[in-house]
Amino acid sequence: MTVSESLFENLRLELRRGCLTLAVLAQLKQEHYGYTLRKALAARGMEIEESTLYPLLRRLESQGLLTSEWREEEKRNKRFYRLSGEGEQIFARLLEEWNQINTAITNLL
Amino acid sequence: MELLDRYLQAVKKHLPWERQDDIFAELRANLEAQLEDKEAELGRPLTKEEAEEWLKEIGPPIQVAGRYQRQQYLIGPAVFPTYWYVLRLALMWCAIVYAIAKAVDIATHEVSASAIVSAAFYLPWILLINAAIVTLVFAGIEAFGARNPAKCLPFASMGPGWTPAEMRPLEEDSEKKPRSYPKALAEVIVGGVFFVWLLLFPHYPVLWLGPGASALAAIPYKLAPVWWTFYWCCVGINGFELTWKIVGLAGGTWNQVRPVRRLAMHALSLIPLGVLMTAPDHSLFLLKNPVADAAAHGAQIASANKGTETALTIAFAIVVLQLLWGAGKMGLEAWRKRAATQ
Repeated sequence: MTVSESLFENLRLELRRGCLTLAVLAQLKQEHYGYTLRKALAARGMEIEESTLYPLLRRLESQGLLTSEWREEEKRNKRFYRLSGEGEQIFARLLEEWNQINTAITNLL
Repeated sequence: MELLDRYLQAVKKHLPWERQDDIFAELRANLEAQLEDKEAELGRPLTKEEAEEWLKEIGPPIQVAGRYQRQQYLIGPAVFPTYWYVLRLALMWCAIVYAIAKAVDIATHEVSASAIVSAAFYLPWILLINAAIVTLVFAGIEAFGARNPAKCLPFASMGPGWTPAEMRPLEEDSEKKPRSYPKALAEVIVGGVFFVWLLLFPHYPVLWLGPGASALAAIPYKLAPVWWTFYWCCVGINGFELTWKIVGLAGGTWNQVRPVRRLAMHALSLIPLGVLMTAPDHSLFLLKNPVADAAAHGAQIASANKGTETALTIAFAIVVLQLLWGAGKMGLEAWRKRAATQ
């Protein structure tokens, strides 16, 4: 990888990091377990690696933005996540921030 | 699938122990669901190569497990600037104190090449140990702050109580500030008066000893001839500096700050010190009547010579360190200027 490619990759990851949280919170208005959440996000154009998504879910839960419960589905125990009450409020504020940034960038371009 | 089990086992080993089972079960459920989907798409089980490729895409077990760890720094961004500042200060003072202590130690024992080489050899280790201690202390501060964020406002200047009014006043950079004409003129006048005093005082001891000059004849000691060499070196250096200042004043270059000149004058000051240090038999003070006074004052003279020699060695070491410090600063400044223009 050349220096400029490596620089681009770092900047791209930096740009995506915050967006991923927003995407996950948006998708978890409906309940999902890890794998179906990943599929749902990918179906809407937001691909996330397993090694990024699953720890992210844990972190968001520990921050109180998600709630989770173990439940059996198709003869297998799975951990289902959804937005908590606090998560909904934070998500609404983040979405507002996102829209402002999006408008500003669009105006700049 | 055996390969997936082995993969999950490898991941589990590196998971945070307090949540290990829970994360492991969740990861297993997710990966098994994904595997089922893949196999359903293909209409057959994955081959060994396909399974390996899939697990490779997910990532090395240690890396996957690492993402579940709390984000930890040895020294985080809030503490790092202070750590870096303290580390540089600690290393600088450590090097200075070590150099002076070793110089005194060597001077008071036996000056030898092996002692100097040995002292220089140990310096990096001393610096390394100091750096490790400072790093450990700051890692401790970081760890405490991460676990007790409410209790630990790491440093006042970074805390919420910070106010701009608390900042230090602007520092004057005396080395870059141009010299004023009155200052340059005062330097020439004071330098001229000092030079005249320097030329006169050997003939008129009262100029440096005051009323005590009359007691000189009564004491049994005298200065060794090497002091005359030292004296003329001092006269030469002062005359040279005074001439330089007068030429600058007359030529209109008095406002220029010349660090190289300052460094050169500093280097010249080593000459008179070196003259005294290399005095024959290290004798700087002699008895006026060695035969008559040796028994009564011989020991005092030997002690005075030894003490003065030690003091001169320390002074010489300090001047050399100052010289190295000045040269280092100049070199660094030149390097920064060159780097900025590239």
